[in-house]
Amino acid sequence: MNKRRVVVTGLGVVACNGIGVDEFWRANLAGRSGITLIDAFETDDFPSKVGGQVRGLEPAKYMPPETARRVDRFVHLGLVSAEFALQDSGLKLEEEDRDRIGVIIGSGFGGAFFHEEQLIQGFDKGAHRLNPLAVPRITPNAVASQMGIRYGLRGPNMVISTACASSAHAIGEAFRKIQYGEIDTCLTGGAEAPMTRFNFGAYCALRVLSKTIDDPTRASRPFDLTREGFVMAEGGAVLILEERERAIRRGARLLAEVVGYASNSGAHHMVMPDPEGGDAARVMAAAIKDAGLTRVDYINAHATSTQANDAAETRAIKAVFGDEAYRIPVSSTKSMIGHSLGAAGAIEAVVSVKALMHQIVPPTINLRTPDPVCDLDYVPDESRAMKVRTVLSNSFGFGNCNASLVFSEAT
Amino acid sequence: MTPQEIEKKVVDILSKKFGTEPSKISPETRLAEDLGVDSFGAVELMFELEEAFNLKIADSDIEHIKCVKDIVDYLVNWTAKKSE
Repeated sequence: MNKRRVVVTGLGVVACNGIGVDEFWRANLAGRSGITLIDAFETDDFPSKVGGQVRGLEPAKYMPPETARRVDRFVHLGLVSAEFALQDSGLKLEEEDRDRIGVIIGSGFGGAFFHEEQLIQGFDKGAHRLNPLAVPRITPNAVASQMGIRYGLRGPNMVISTACASSAHAIGEAFRKIQYGEIDTCLTGGAEAPMTRFNFGAYCALRVLSKTIDDPTRASRPFDLTREGFVMAEGGAVLILEERERAIRRGARLLAEVVGYASNSGAHHMVMPDPEGGDAARVMAAAIKDAGLTRVDYINAHATSTQANDAAETRAIKAVFGDEAYRIPVSSTKSMIGHSLGAAGAIEAVVSVKALMHQIVPPTINLRTPDPVCDLDYVPDESRAMKVRTVLSNSFGFGNCNASLVFSEAT
Repeated sequence: MTPQEIEKKVVDILSKKFGTEPSKISPETRLAEDLGVDSFGAVELMFELEEAFNLKIADSDIEHIKCVKDIVDYLVNWTAKKSE
């Protein structure tokens, strides 16, 4: 069966260093961090105190007030991203066959805010005070369903939950559905609002969060010898994927092409990556092969700023590309915006597409003390104008759920 | 609390919750038809009233509450019973 070509025709993003693609992209090129001391909840009894909060977002500006009032924050982040992406795409939904438009979104936690609020309410005040909308507000698929309802999209509608790889899997599966003709268009991406006291405390207990407090913007420092964990963040991103011929017929602006995807498992450990990076290498190699390539011009790494991930990912990149690995720029979006878990893959897909559109690669910030085991070109501090024809974007989730995506310039 | 004070507080809660100007809410204002309150909204509203007036409203009572006056009467009755 002939696979159809799939292009990206719209982008929407909400991150702690920028709301909307323009603001976000400017911040990324300038190496501007969005990490601050957390004020969303009390952190006194936690060893970690910094995070990536999205500030100044007014959800009711982007959706009916009734929706804004009744959905969890992760749905706000998703719906705002979807609205931005649809506007960017110029899609006229009323003229489209909406049975053939899907919604595939990634989220690791779903409605964590409301879940926590309702747990407290239920225990403090009794079952009588549980909100009748608790179930549809908390369920992770609320974000995809709310997009379907808001825009009348009647194609496949689902949420994929694979921890930190959720939205990379979502984009990959959307890509496949369009390739094989199941749908023509898809809203795909991720949304995550994990910044609650319970979640944050649980990640502290797992001892994976950065304990840097004095300068929050320095807390996430991927590939640096002194890295000590990731920084939790919230965010959302939606990409509009379309079958290429259709997109051209409707006169859409082609931002980039999705050319490769692969997913696999390390089958190793619920939290630790395989230290040799074997599974990461296999998934990258498979995605590149799927794209019909042997090399890429830029790698947007998973690069969480944990000791284990950054070393294993570096090893994996070298295993895939050999000596050529030293000539491929690799950078970490998480150095600036922390780790938005299930939304990270989609936000990084936006970065990958923008790098192809503008022929410039954003930097890894906070890389000051080189680590002998992390010895690639991580584009330290300054964004770099260069020829970018292809980008590989990696996402590795807890439980060894891996996904790699490959994007190319739109042709 | 006087009935007037109760009404003012109820109007205040309704206005904030459903984004309607207080001046547009009268005792005759209907929850469903005029304020667009659906069954979920009604339950959420009862939670807020319980919190604000420190009482417990039974599910069976919610069904009889159709307009602003019904809420105020319910609360006035309850206040009177409590002080007996």
